[in-house]
Amino acid sequence: MNLAVNTPWALSGLVLALLPLFNNGMRSSPAPWTALIPGDTLSAFVVCCLRLCAVAAIAGLVLGIAGLHRTEQSRERIGHGAHIVLLLDRSSSMDNTFAGRAPNGVDDGKDAGGRAMHGAIAEESKATAARRLLTDFVKQRQNDLIGVAEYSTSSLFVMPLTENKNAVQAAIAATATPALGFTHVSKGLGMAISFFEQQPVTGSRIVLLVSDGAAAIDHDSEQKLRLWFKQQQVRLYWIFLRTAGSPGIFDQPEDSRADNAGAMPELYLHKFFLGLGSPYQAYEAESPDALKQAIADINQLENLPMHYVERIPKQDLSAVCYSIAAFLLLVLFGVKFCEVKR
Amino acid sequence: MNHTLKDYRIGCLLLALIAMLVLFMYPNKQQKMPTYNYTFIVDITRSMNATDYQQDNQAVSRLNFVKQTLRELLQKLPCESKVGLGLFTERRSTLLFEPLEVCSAYTEIDTTISKIDWRMAWAADSNIAKGLLSTLEMLPKSESSVIFITDGQEAPPVNPNYQADFSSVKGQAKGMIIGVGGLQSVPIPKFDSQGKQTGFYNPDDVPHRSSFGQSNLDPSQIKGYNARNAPFGSEAATGNEHLTSLHETYLEKLGAESGLSYARLTDLQNLSQALQNPKLATEKVVQTDIRRQPALLALLLLSLVYLPKVYKFRRFFARERSLVPKL
Repeated sequence: MNLAVNTPWALSGLVLALLPLFNNGMRSSPAPWTALIPGDTLSAFVVCCLRLCAVAAIAGLVLGIAGLHRTEQSRERIGHGAHIVLLLDRSSSMDNTFAGRAPNGVDDGKDAGGRAMHGAIAEESKATAARRLLTDFVKQRQNDLIGVAEYSTSSLFVMPLTENKNAVQAAIAATATPALGFTHVSKGLGMAISFFEQQPVTGSRIVLLVSDGAAAIDHDSEQKLRLWFKQQQVRLYWIFLRTAGSPGIFDQPEDSRADNAGAMPELYLHKFFLGLGSPYQAYEAESPDALKQAIADINQLENLPMHYVERIPKQDLSAVCYSIAAFLLLVLFGVKFCEVKR
Repeated sequence: MNHTLKDYRIGCLLLALIAMLVLFMYPNKQQKMPTYNYTFIVDITRSMNATDYQQDNQAVSRLNFVKQTLRELLQKLPCESKVGLGLFTERRSTLLFEPLEVCSAYTEIDTTISKIDWRMAWAADSNIAKGLLSTLEMLPKSESSVIFITDGQEAPPVNPNYQADFSSVKGQAKGMIIGVGGLQSVPIPKFDSQGKQTGFYNPDDVPHRSSFGQSNLDPSQIKGYNARNAPFGSEAATGNEHLTSLHETYLEKLGAESGLSYARLTDLQNLSQALQNPKLATEKVVQTDIRRQPALLALLLLSLVYLPKVYKFRRFFARERSLVPKL
């Protein structure tokens, strides 16, 4: 019970609650000599009660006026959930469909800024599909802390790990704006892992990478990422939105000359992730339905017990104060009619 | 005497009870309050690293000053106001998140503002007019006012022949352009790939004019002009593009073309004043708690019932006086 008031100075009104101690608030009836009347314990008790009623009524009103409330409380609970960082690819190709076209069905219906020119959308772009499914995903994960990072040519810090689902949804919705540049996945991964610094290790820690392409990672970054994944105990899920006709994660090179990170960045990125030593799962989604399946899997798998803090919002107690005061007022008012009339 | 006394006490209690009844029947009043919906688009190009603001006697960069001011502004915005955040570099901007209610998402907005970094830039040019245009086109129907925060430093400078045409968005968008920076030219810090400062940009590091398309000058005026091979002539351009200052007249011009108003950022006070522009505010009906007023009345009436009797005091003091031995 952590009680607090909105306007502390209003509490000075509590002095008024002392008034009934000096005056019983009753009509005095004339008596020849008060010392003649024998003391009556019951009367004394009733008077005392009435005074206390008056004190409580005044105090109740003052506390109500001061805005008594219980401060926001947090309770630690154990539930099932995870800390998830959504790492979203904002490279320009995400604005194309799974068929590798602009959503209007024209092969290259783009202006200089990379924006789709026409409003009519015949097919969903990869970004739209991802956005729609991620929105549902976030809705289902009530206990999780979710953060959002994005990357294109460089990484963008979008939303810290938070339990505020509205904020996460606002960040996901903002990816409706045109995509940016190229795919620099190592910077994005570095930023995603940095979200877990200074966070307690509880439940599972997940980086959910949603991308439609890959890029070679340079040696320095590789080493750093290996170290960071170990240090922060992060699990990685990679949802690869495969465009029709483009190389996939699991494709083996047909020609040994094409067997390098430059020619097959997807395969090599996959190999690098496999070698990280931390749990890793890759999904290749070639259509919005496959993407849905991948997200459903994660939803099922990642439910380790987790400590989380349940917030109990601030509770206004002034209504209670006013009700008590009103009731006591009614009592005092009623008692007034029992007074001796002479 | 007794009857009047009786009447006043019962009357007071009755009135107090009526006041409480009113309190429970009309606890709230509908009140109009201005609320705001801003989408801040922050320029993160390199010129924003120039240090020409002072804070606690320390030079701070334009970007840091903007971040600090926005975070302070966030605390001052009334609840139910919304804030969205975006970044500008190159020729366009990106939205990090759509406007969020400030009171419920204060920590999230504050953290994200604090994490804005010039290294988030996905490309290095700084074409402000086009950026502003694409931002206004990107957020055309949103209720949010675009607050475009920039220093007006175009890099490379714009060729007057190829200026952004704001006629399509003029009058549709509401918002403001906030100019950042000092009016005196200062050098732009240069960083290496690890983020360490390695000095400042030299005149040789930056283009001093646009070399895109056709020159806006009369070809006969250009030395070494060749329509195909050297439309800008053979002379190397010189200029002060490696230095940066707030281009106020330019931003005012952009504001006039796009229908946005302009204000310069000097401190929190002036920013919040500029942003409290009634054009950007929407009146929202908010329920305000007015239970205090009847409660206060009831409190006064109740206190009146128990007010110490004055004549008792008088008698008490009179007795005191009589006890003082007379000399």
